[in-house]
Order: sequence, then C-alpha cells, then structure tokens
Amino acid sequence: MKALHRRKLLTATAVLAVFGLAATAIPAQAAEVGVTSTQIKLGMTLPMTGTASLGYNKIPGAAKAYFDYLNANGGINGRKVTLVVKDDRYVPTEAVAKTNELILKDKVMALLAPLGTANVKAVASSVNPGRRGVPVLFVNTGFSGFADAKKYPTTYTVLPSYIMEAKIMGQYIKENFAGKKIGLLYQDDDFGTDALAGFKTAGINFAVKVPYASGSQSAAAAAGWITKFKAAEADVVILFGVSSATSAMLGVAAQLKYAPQWMLGSVGGDATTIKLTGVPAGVLYNAIGFSPVPATTDMKDEYVKFFSDIYTKAVPGSAFDLNVLLGMNTAFMAAQALKAAGANPTRKSLLAAIDSKGATFANSALVPAAYSKTSHVGLTGYWVGKYSPAGDLSPVGGTYVSYTTDSGAGAVVKTTYKRPAMPAKGLPN
Amino acid sequence: MKKVRILSLLSVTALVTTVLVTAPTVANAAPMCDGKSPIQSCVGVTSDGAPYAMQVPANFNGTVALYSHGYRYNVDIPAGIPLIGGYKITNTPEPVPGGNAEVAKYFFSQGIAIVGSGFARQGWNPDSAIKTNVELIDTFKKQFPKTTKVVAWGSSLGGVITQGLAEKHPELVSAVAPMCMADNVSAELTMAGDFLWGIKVLFDPTIKAGNYSAGAAGVAESYGDLVKVFTVMGKLQASLTTGAWPDTSSATGKALAAAGIPSRSALLLLGLMAGLPTQSAHFDSISGPDGALKLTFPLAISPVLAILENGTNAAALAVLATQDVENQTGGAIFDNTKTDYSARVDAERVIFNAALSGNTAIDAMLGALSAANPGAPRAAGNAAAVAKMKALHQNTGKINVPTVLMVGVADPITPAGASQRLVDLYAEQYAAEKAAARKAYQASRDYKTPTNKLLMLWNTTPSNYTKFDAAGSPITSTAAAQGTNHCNFTSAQLVLVAKSLVQASSTGKLPSGGALYTAVRKAGNLSIDKGISVPWLKAYGDN
Repeated sequence: MKALHRRKLLTATAVLAVFGLAATAIPAQAAEVGVTSTQIKLGMTLPMTGTASLGYNKIPGAAKAYFDYLNANGGINGRKVTLVVKDDRYVPTEAVAKTNELILKDKVMALLAPLGTANVKAVASSVNPGRRGVPVLFVNTGFSGFADAKKYPTTYTVLPSYIMEAKIMGQYIKENFAGKKIGLLYQDDDFGTDALAGFKTAGINFAVKVPYASGSQSAAAAAGWITKFKAAEADVVILFGVSSATSAMLGVAAQLKYAPQWMLGSVGGDATTIKLTGVPAGVLYNAIGFSPVPATTDMKDEYVKFFSDIYTKAVPGSAFDLNVLLGMNTAFMAAQALKAAGANPTRKSLLAAIDSKGATFANSALVPAAYSKTSHVGLTGYWVGKYSPAGDLSPVGGTYVSYTTDSGAGAVVKTTYKRPAMPAKGLPN
Repeated sequence: MKKVRILSLLSVTALVTTVLVTAPTVANAAPMCDGKSPIQSCVGVTSDGAPYAMQVPANFNGTVALYSHGYRYNVDIPAGIPLIGGYKITNTPEPVPGGNAEVAKYFFSQGIAIVGSGFARQGWNPDSAIKTNVELIDTFKKQFPKTTKVVAWGSSLGGVITQGLAEKHPELVSAVAPMCMADNVSAELTMAGDFLWGIKVLFDPTIKAGNYSAGAAGVAESYGDLVKVFTVMGKLQASLTTGAWPDTSSATGKALAAAGIPSRSALLLLGLMAGLPTQSAHFDSISGPDGALKLTFPLAISPVLAILENGTNAAALAVLATQDVENQTGGAIFDNTKTDYSARVDAERVIFNAALSGNTAIDAMLGALSAANPGAPRAAGNAAAVAKMKALHQNTGKINVPTVLMVGVADPITPAGASQRLVDLYAEQYAAEKAAARKAYQASRDYKTPTNKLLMLWNTTPSNYTKFDAAGSPITSTAAAQGTNHCNFTSAQLVLVAKSLVQASSTGKLPSGGALYTAVRKAGNLSIDKGISVPWLKAYGDN
C-alpha cells in the first residue's frame, strides 16, 4: 500500500532526525525479541499432521538435530538455539494463527523455513512479518515471488524457484526427449503457475496439461489423470506436484501398469516419502529427478556424511532422506546467519548478515546461492539424476552435473560453482 | 454433513441496537428532569426532532460521555421477510451502548454523566447526526453548567458520527472512541454493492441489487431483494457439499456449473471480491472435524461457510442501506463498470486456492465476472447521485483529540479495515507532527515530542473456535466467537474503552505502558500489537 511505504519513510526520517538532535545521548540497546544471554529462539510452522505432512514432518527433527549438535558445541556465541515448532496441517489460515502465536506468545526472534506457498503468502499478508521486521529465513517453497524483496522485505528463499526447476527440466527434455509427447501434472495454484512460466520460457509444448486443485489429490483423482495422459499418448509425464500427488499417481500407475517415462519435480520427488505410501520402489526405477543438494545416499559427500551421522544419532531408526538433508542444511545456514549477525544479534543485523554474507554460507548444495543486498534469492539450480531400482536418486552418468539459471529469461547453463568446504566440526566460523 | 444452521443465527440485534429510554416529542424544549438522586434522568428533543436522554449522577464531576448509536433501518420491515421482519423504525435514545448497565455503572461510579440521542433520521445519517450531537452537547452544558469535559463514543455508524464530531468540532470533545466504526459511505456501499452484484449476476439475475425506484416502490423492491437474497443464500447453504447451483442461477452461473465449478467456490470468490472476512461467528477456517474431513473442512468448506454466515448477515444492511442512500441521492450509487475484480483477489486466490477449486476455476469465474462478459452486466451508477453520495459527510481520518479505536478483526458489517485506515493515516500524521517538532526545535532548541493521540484495540479471534458434534457436524448454536460478528464486544471491553476515555479526558494522554497492557489483558480478547495490520476496504484499492 502506497500510504504504508510513505509512512515508513517518514518514520525513518523522523527517527534519524531525532537521533541527530542528541547524537551524544546514545540510548542503551534494548534486548532483541527472542534473544537472551543464553538463548536464541526461532519458530517454524509446517504440516506435522494430516495428509500433506508425510515427509515434511521430518524437517523439524532434522533441524533440531543440527541445533542440538550446535548447542552441544557452544551454540552461537554461547547462546543455545531453540526451535519452536507449530503444526499448521498445510492449511493457510492455520499457518496464520500459528505464526501469530510464534511471534506474539512464543516471541521468537525469527521464523525458520515455513513450508508451503499458500501458507507463506497467507502469513505475509495477514501476519505481516515484513512490517514487524521479523525475519523469515529460508522459506520452504520454491515460489519465485518470495524473492521480491520489496513485497517481502524480511523473507529469504533457499530452494531454487519452481521457474528455475521447470527451465532446467525443459532443457533436459529438449536435449533428451526431442520429438516425444510430453504430459504435465501440476498443482493449480501459484506453485503450478511458476512451473508453467518456467516451461514456457524453456519453450516446451505439452501434449497434455493436467491441473489438480490443491487438496484434491487422491487415488481416484489419479485414475482420472492417467486417463488423460493415456488419451494424449504422452511419452514423458512430468509430475510437478506435492508428494501426496506424486504418490497417488505412481501408486495408481503401478496398479494400472501405466509406465511412461516419469520425470519428478523436486517437491514431490523424495523417494523415501513416496515409498512410505506403499508405492513399489520399482515404479520409480529410471524416473528422472532433480535436486539442488547431493544424493542422500552419497556418503562420500562430506556434508551428507556429516549430517547423516548427526541425524542417525539424534533420531535413530528414521531414514536420512531429502527432507532431512534439506532441513539440516537450512538449520546450518541459519546458524551461520546468526553467527554473522554479531555478538548481540538483532533482527536487523540478522537480515543484514544474509544480505552481505549469505552467498558465501557453507552448505551442501551443489549450486550457488544468490543472496546480496539486492537479492533474497537462495539456491539457483539443480543437478539431474535417475532413480535406481531401490528408488534412490543418483546423478545421471554417475557424476554431478549441475545447472544454474534464474527466474527470468536467463539461459540454463552448467555451473562451475565450487562449493565451500565444510567448516571445522560443521560449526559456523 | 448435516445441514448447517446458519440463517437462524443471524444477529439482527447487531444491526439494530437496543433502545433504552422513552423521550418526549416536543422539539427544542429544555430537558425535562426528574430531579432524582443518586441518578437524575432528563429527556428532551433537539431542534431537529431527535429524542435524547441524559443521566447525571449526584456526584457529577463535570465530565459527560456522549454516545452515538449505530445504523438503524429507516424503513419498517414487513413481518413476512425472513430474519429481520417485524422491525419498526425507532429513534429511541441510547446513552450507552445497548443500554449496557455495567458501562453506565462505571461512569456513574466516576461521577460521569451519560447522554445520547436516538437521532432524528435513521439510515445513513452522519450529516444530521453530527449536528444533533453538537446541539445536544450545548443543551447538556446549559442544563448542567458544571460541565467541563465531553467525551464522545459510538458504535458502527455511530463511530463514523463520533469521528466526524472530533474532526469537525475538536473544541467540543476532549477524547473520542469510535468503536466497530463503519467506513465512509462510498467504501461501505461498494463492499455491499460488490457482494450483491455478484449474487445477482451469478445466482439470481432478478435481484435488482440497487438502482431502486424512488419512494415506496423502491422500498418494495428492496423488500423483494431481501427475500431473494436470503433465498439464494439458503439454497447455497443447502448445496454446500454437492456444489450444485441454485435453480435461479443466470446463464453465466449455469455455464460455470457446467464447467464443474462448485457453487461454494463462486460464493467464496464473491465474498473475497467484496472484502468480507473469511472468519465468522462459528467458522474459523482452521478447524475440522475428526475423520476424513479433518483437513478438507478448513481448506475447502469452512471459508465458504464463513462467507455464507457473514454475507447473509451483511446482506440485509447492504440492500437497505443502498436503498436508503439512493433515496437520499436520487439515483443508483453503485458503479462497478471499471472494477478489476481479478486485482481485488490477487492476494487471496492462492490462500484460498483449494476452496476456490484451483487457478483454472478461479480464472474461469473471474472471466465470467469480467466487464467483457455481457452475461454479467456491470452496474452503472448515476453520475449525479454518485456525486451527491460523495458530498455526504466523509471522515478524513484526521486525529484531533485522544482517540480510542476498537474493532473485531472479523467484523462482517464494518470491516476492521475501516479502523486500519485511521491507524495508517495517523501514522503519517504523527510522523508529520514529529517533523514539525524537529523544525520547531531548530528555532527554540526545545524539542517537544508530540503526544500520541491514538490507541488501537483489536478484538481478536481465538486461535480456533469452530466446534463439532459427535457426528462431525459444525455446531452453530453457540455464541459468536470474539472478534467476529458486528460490534461483538463484552462489557469488560466496553468498560476498558470507557476508562481510557476518562483517563484521556482528565490527563490529555491515553493509557500506555504496563498499566495499559494489564488492563488490556484483563479485558480479554484484545490486542494492542502494532504489528497487526488488516487490509483497507476494497474500494480504496480500486483507485
């Protein structure tokens, strides 16, 4: 709203002016919300129960596993990082209520990795973390719009955008499936809109596009989708939806023995989650997948090994999968941001730290991050893999070849990005 | 799911405030006082014919609280009309909100008198009501010369009148409290008009939805609209789970139905276009019953039920206020020929995507409602009538005296955005006052921080409040949740406002700091969090 921007400017000017009047009288700095001498409190909302929770509900445990490790090794300048987790069941209005609780009752310093495009958008418009100055770190959605620093001034993405993913998928299709009939299953909201924009930029023409309304995914719906893909004689079917949509589709496809060349978007492509729904691993075999971080089975990768060791000890019996790796990676980046925010971190210094140093934060991704004073864009690309007979995603040809691009008209290019080495003991410098 | 009982729950009393005192009919005579103690009661009639009532405690300390009641229909409603039938025009005075005894008791305990009129004209009346209040203040002061301070407060349209009084006559009041304040007439009736227009063009094209005939014929047309709108809402309620469209639907509506779009999605879209809250008295858009609908209910059903409950509540006022203002201005005042409804729902379409049945359905509905579709003809206002409407009293939002605002965040009649507008405008005003103070400092070297003149009390909704019975059906027989319905305040909340007014009038400063936090907490379901921000009424975004 125009009036609000103007007001903000006027207020800032007035504050500066008053300080200018009494430059010698520097006020004592008030303690930041959520920060004490012993603790830094962060908050997270995501689906912990309900149909959308599968897989995602491991993220808090993963993040806590890293924070526990961090705290056992001195925390952030002696402060322990605690994470308050609220279940929003993937319902936007509930995310609003739970985020309000985090900010007003739990008094967290920052929000960490809230999940879901609709939820983050609902919180942005109803809770107004931007207006409150509350950092929203590393949102768990690839909706490109959240990188708009004017609209979401305290929000930082981490996942590559859905537009980037679709562009990279499109490039792969053109290089490997030229002349084939392509089908697309997508969520009929901003998630899908981003994907459609990316495919359009990539110049992909679909034989059939099948939208599904968020929340409508089911086995019965999947049978209808398959009918449409069969009717269009799709050779390659892209599943660009959430895990429950992917699982419903693959489960029914297995029953109907429908087996096109599958291509899975990263959001719904976690094999562990898919298999938990009863989908046979064999259905995934040779499907093509995309990921910004290394394969979760790649124990030669120092980050994967490090995070896997911590998680296995912290949550014994729980599989180390993509959701866990991303959750720990996000916590690791948050720790570096807090460390970089200074001896007495504030919300403002935390945001400034990401602006100035975020692009250099060590993390497991094989693609660069684009944080800067003018960009809230996180990771910028993917490597392409295929699922093994056991359902594990591994790089095509056995070597990671990563591609990077932007959310605009920029080209898809192979990246020469050199990932920072793991800091000593996996702790922020 | 069992049939949800919504229509019987409508809070007609929320629109038509409780009357309190019988007054004489002789205009402009001196008040007639009973001389009783400890409370002396006086009644009279202002020069414009507004009956008033005064109640003055024996320990009167010189402060009087002037209350302005909210909108009352300015036509009788035949008994046969559902929900609101049987209403008779009344101008009985109301010196405290709804005749609330606890509020009156508080004032009397402080030695404060109360006064209020029933206004001479009902319906949309700020122009005349502000004049009535000015005269009433003068009359009170003459009757009780000890009077030193006047605090003014009001609810709903009475909030507009109260704010208007403070804007036009700040010299008369030392503090004011517009509660559940309506917005200016054009913004309010745009909201009403948008919703009615949508109901008409999709669900029953025989609804007039404005542009009523002059005089009695127009009143009769509005009665007809009320029946039709309530009938449509009943049909939509009955087909909530099936998604079937009312048999009265337009060709445009039937085309959307044929495309597989459920009627509930269309109803929700209309509510979002108009700016109705998506939380209502009994539906929080969060909770779901145990079982299969645990997630589906809040995602796809509850927001629609909230619009149904809120929309039905608002529809009566929408029809009757439109007819009233058209009668005052001489023609159609709703004009959506240039309204971009797609822009209106840009923020909400992703949040309620599931209930709206996805982007494809949303785009189809918005396409059907676009100005390019002759099957959904836009309403054109009468230019002269629109100009007259804009010439009716409009609050600028200027805060002249200590002001307390209180509103439910999900008030369906007077959305919280009306209060938010004042909050935002005051932020600019305060920044300008600070700048002026800084400039003055350059000359005087004496910096005086401007005094804050605004306290915003948000009446918030509970985290979740929809209740379900053992069969999983929503329970709608309970009292409306806090933060919902129109002017749904507790006595404790009203007393807090009264106390704040009293403090501000005696000290010139609004409550603040720890004492305020404690008082707010004790009053319950209120927040003074400055981070709360709700959208302005949709009409402001159209410009």
